[in-house]
Amino acid sequence: MDSLIPLFVIIPLATAFLIPIIGKLTIYFAKTITPVVLLILCFYSITLLLSNSKETYIVGGWQPVEDIPIGIYLVLDSFSILILCIISIIGFLVSFYSFEYISYYTSENNFYALFCLMIAGMNGVVLSGDIFNLFVFLEISVIASYALVAFGVGKNELEASFKYQVLGNIASFLILLSISLLYWQTKTLNIADISEVLQTSDDSAFLKFTQVLLISGFGLKAAIIPFHAWIPDAHSSAPSPVSAMLSGVLIKAVGVYVIIRLFFNMFVFTHEIAMVITVLGTLSMIIGALLAINQSDIKRLLAYSSISQIGYIIIGFGIGMVVLSKGGKVSIAVLAIAGALFHMVNHAVFKGLLFLCAGAVEYRTNTRDMGQLGGLAENMPITSTSSLGASLSISGIPPFNGFFSKLIIIIAAVQARFYLVAFLAVVVSIITLAYFLKFQKRVFYGVNKNYKNVKEVPFAMSFSMIVLVVLCLGLSILVIPSIRELILDPAVNTLINMDQYINQVIQY
Amino acid sequence: MNEILYIICLPLFAGILLYLIPEKLRTVKGIFTTIIAAYTFYQSILLFNGQTGICSLKQLIGFSGYSELFTNSLKDADKYVSFNIDALCQLIVLFVNLFALLIIIYSLFYIDKNKKISNYYSFVLITLGTSNGAVVSNNLLLFLTFWGILGFTLYKLIRGSDEESSATAKKTLAIVGASDGIMILGIAIIWKITKTLNMNEISLMTSNALTITAFLALLIGSFTKAGAFPFHTWVPDYAKDAPASSTAYMPASLDKLLGIYFLARICNYLFVLNQWLTFTLLAIGVITIITAVMMALVQHNYKRLLGFHAVSQVGYMIVGFGLGTVIGVAAGLFHMLNNVLYKTGLFLVSGNVEHKTGKEDIDQLGGLSKAMPITFICALIFALSISGVPPFNGFASKWMIYQGIIEFGQGTGIANQLWIVWLGLAVLGSALTLASFVKFISGLFLGKKQKEFEKVKEVNILGWLPIVIIALGCIALGVFSTNYFVPKLFNPIVGEIKLIGIWNSTTVSILILISIVLGVLIYLIGNVKNFRTEDSFVGGGETMREDSHMATTGFYETIKSFGFLSILYEKAEKRWFDIYDLSKKLIFWLGRIFQAAHTGVLPNYAIWVFAGLIIMLLILI
Repeated sequence: MDSLIPLFVIIPLATAFLIPIIGKLTIYFAKTITPVVLLILCFYSITLLLSNSKETYIVGGWQPVEDIPIGIYLVLDSFSILILCIISIIGFLVSFYSFEYISYYTSENNFYALFCLMIAGMNGVVLSGDIFNLFVFLEISVIASYALVAFGVGKNELEASFKYQVLGNIASFLILLSISLLYWQTKTLNIADISEVLQTSDDSAFLKFTQVLLISGFGLKAAIIPFHAWIPDAHSSAPSPVSAMLSGVLIKAVGVYVIIRLFFNMFVFTHEIAMVITVLGTLSMIIGALLAINQSDIKRLLAYSSISQIGYIIIGFGIGMVVLSKGGKVSIAVLAIAGALFHMVNHAVFKGLLFLCAGAVEYRTNTRDMGQLGGLAENMPITSTSSLGASLSISGIPPFNGFFSKLIIIIAAVQARFYLVAFLAVVVSIITLAYFLKFQKRVFYGVNKNYKNVKEVPFAMSFSMIVLVVLCLGLSILVIPSIRELILDPAVNTLINMDQYINQVIQY
Repeated sequence: MNEILYIICLPLFAGILLYLIPEKLRTVKGIFTTIIAAYTFYQSILLFNGQTGICSLKQLIGFSGYSELFTNSLKDADKYVSFNIDALCQLIVLFVNLFALLIIIYSLFYIDKNKKISNYYSFVLITLGTSNGAVVSNNLLLFLTFWGILGFTLYKLIRGSDEESSATAKKTLAIVGASDGIMILGIAIIWKITKTLNMNEISLMTSNALTITAFLALLIGSFTKAGAFPFHTWVPDYAKDAPASSTAYMPASLDKLLGIYFLARICNYLFVLNQWLTFTLLAIGVITIITAVMMALVQHNYKRLLGFHAVSQVGYMIVGFGLGTVIGVAAGLFHMLNNVLYKTGLFLVSGNVEHKTGKEDIDQLGGLSKAMPITFICALIFALSISGVPPFNGFASKWMIYQGIIEFGQGTGIANQLWIVWLGLAVLGSALTLASFVKFISGLFLGKKQKEFEKVKEVNILGWLPIVIIALGCIALGVFSTNYFVPKLFNPIVGEIKLIGIWNSTTVSILILISIVLGVLIYLIGNVKNFRTEDSFVGGGETMREDSHMATTGFYETIKSFGFLSILYEKAEKRWFDIYDLSKKLIFWLGRIFQAAHTGVLPNYAIWVFAGLIIMLLILI
């Protein structure tokens, strides 16, 4: 039987186009079909993850000519399946949450259609084996997200969306430029094939130029400092489920994932590039946290904290790259990359949850200003408990998952002799704790002045939050060595063994 | 060693179970918690009398008879999960469980529906399980995980529904969580240097910058948990705003035991200290003693006063461990036990007073000795203990510390030469402690009783029984210290203790007892009935009865007005010396700088993108 992996793109894409048509008849079609479809993808991706399968699918059956791949390849390996899992799980919970939340707005069909389109685009980015299709899918998902950010069609939403579009288009331009440069130099677009060609070429100035363009372009999508400026507006103005999707998943799937995939599996990275990536990660980590602590808008605080947490992820990968490029111990690089992947999974869960909690608070009180809120713990026990779990998780308090991933990253930094980075990571983790405790105190503790009659949110919303907070605790088991071997280590191996990826594509 | 499983897992699972039971069944939850705590205490006695040694996960649960999946998934975890039972662990575990049991019994009386703490018993049990886990674990990462959970339960054991207590909860977790973060750094460095995380295999010389950093990082962890200068600032606030049972449970007993346990571990097992570190430890010890007791002297809130004393006493223990000699370590451990006894007792006393009167300010209280006789007698015993009056336990351990310092003075290091400074400041601290407890006892229990407290009665048996047990413990540890308790408890840990001074606690106690009996006899034989009582006579006018209530705290205000001290006190009240407020200001200032750059102007943002691009190009090409 042929591989079923194109379904990850086809199903959400088809759903996105079915919703406006059938949705005309009944409003409940969109509301039910989206979670159902995503739940199916969820189960399928978890099956694939646990069976640790590697699959390659050639669209249209265009076989390679003289070992040169000419068709569109969809490649599934341990790294991409991990990201697909995140997308499907968070996507399912967010769409389930939206069941109640989005009735707040008009034209729900458009919301679900755009949402499915965004999922299809992200799945495409993650699966796509050639760099141009990657770009096409990237544009599908980000254009859907431009529209979703503006979904409220108020003044702030439109302004945020406009900024996001302008900056996003600059990034797309840089990415397209670098893709065309690569095509001009290597005469191919397939990632594995480019990699083979690049291994023999020695035009290092050209390569560096392309690499910098790619880092800038995808760095903007991943919200790395100094390319982060769109994120606070866009993430805070979007409807909360969309913010959860943008912050929890989109910046990883179309930003971090692509940078990591291209640098590990396509380029032969040099020490300088590895250092640049580590420095960018460190900067993002520090400045993001310092920006977050002064915010009084809940969602802006969360958005800035995403910059900071993405910094941790980038640092993990960066240290791994530095160690590998210097020919250091592979075990240290494995530790760093595993920590980064672990943090990536964790961040999707807790940041998604935090945005959903912020949404729940906004749903009941109509405000995001922490100055006006307070004492909601008694009125909204589920929201309060789950946001506390997520806050402690992101600040690295055991036994929540965030503690273990930060622990691994910090230990790896010390092992690789990045003492300053390790120290800064600890300091930033303390600042993170401080601003999340501020968030807890201002919103859920203290005196309830203005919102005494507020009730807990309806079932669909609280269900998603409960599942996510259980995941916050449950994902801690990934730290147990044998479970890590099953889930994280295959992905790490895919990244550090470049040949594995190339062989999977070329020999197919 | 199956007891390890019981003392960790039983309270943990029971706590998680209780979390799922609705809050309305509070009494049922309380009784269930007491039973669990009693059983855990029984297991800890078994552990105390059992054998010592390293115990891996495999030995503990035995892999046979489980499914293959379970066995495989735990096979590798075995590397990280190992326990070490030695004499120190046994002692600490015994006391952790003892105090947990006593305070849970007290909570049955104290925690009622007015104290809105959701899931109190659940978090109490989780705290118990994780504390036990932290003490027995041998692997540093396992230890850190348990250790970190305690910060979270500390946060949950305070009611957060008003402005002050929520601010305190935030501050507490911020400081404790920060110290846990710093400990990660220390542990990572240890792993890098020694390639192992098992505490029994680590013994590092503090000779280069890296090992000293690791030591200091772990030291910060233990200082924060135990509440030592300058990381102590959460303790007085917590004491003031949390319910008395929570304060007695966490900062006064369990956190103190754990913090000092870990201090003993790092100073005596994991690291070999160089003389500068010894100097630092001693200096921090005496600074802690003096600054905290000076702050305690001027407090009006009696819970906050006790909070500062909880900090001050830690200084003595740090001095003990800083000495590093056999007597010093034994004295430090002994003082830890004594301190936990009387300090827990004092917090429970404060809980009783607060429960019955509803007041937290010394100025508003007074004359409760007749109304609450048992509480008063116990409070007096605790106050005399903490001030180091013989024959109570506080004296016994402080005496050992003084002897340790004198013996230490015979050495040749820099710190040894300064022994007279350490000794003088330690004794001064003890005197100031006595001074501030005169205020506590007289302000609460002596003096004129006020009308609004006419109806105040003694608390019921659940309220006084734990206090009486602790008070008896204070007396017993004091009277039988040299003959029984010190050799029995500490010889297995530090080896034979040789005291240079002559002090036989039992003999001296008998002497003191005889003198008291004699005094009472003389008093009775003499013409006691022939006292002439007269109303006070002022300047020829009408006689005045002293109805006016004189606040005891007034006498202590004079300290504040000494020239140099007045400035310091003024700054301290503005929290100039609070490490939490200082770092908060710094970070907010840094944050505002970056915030100012985010103007919301789109062209600027676009320029940043290209600037970033160009800078990277310049660096690379």
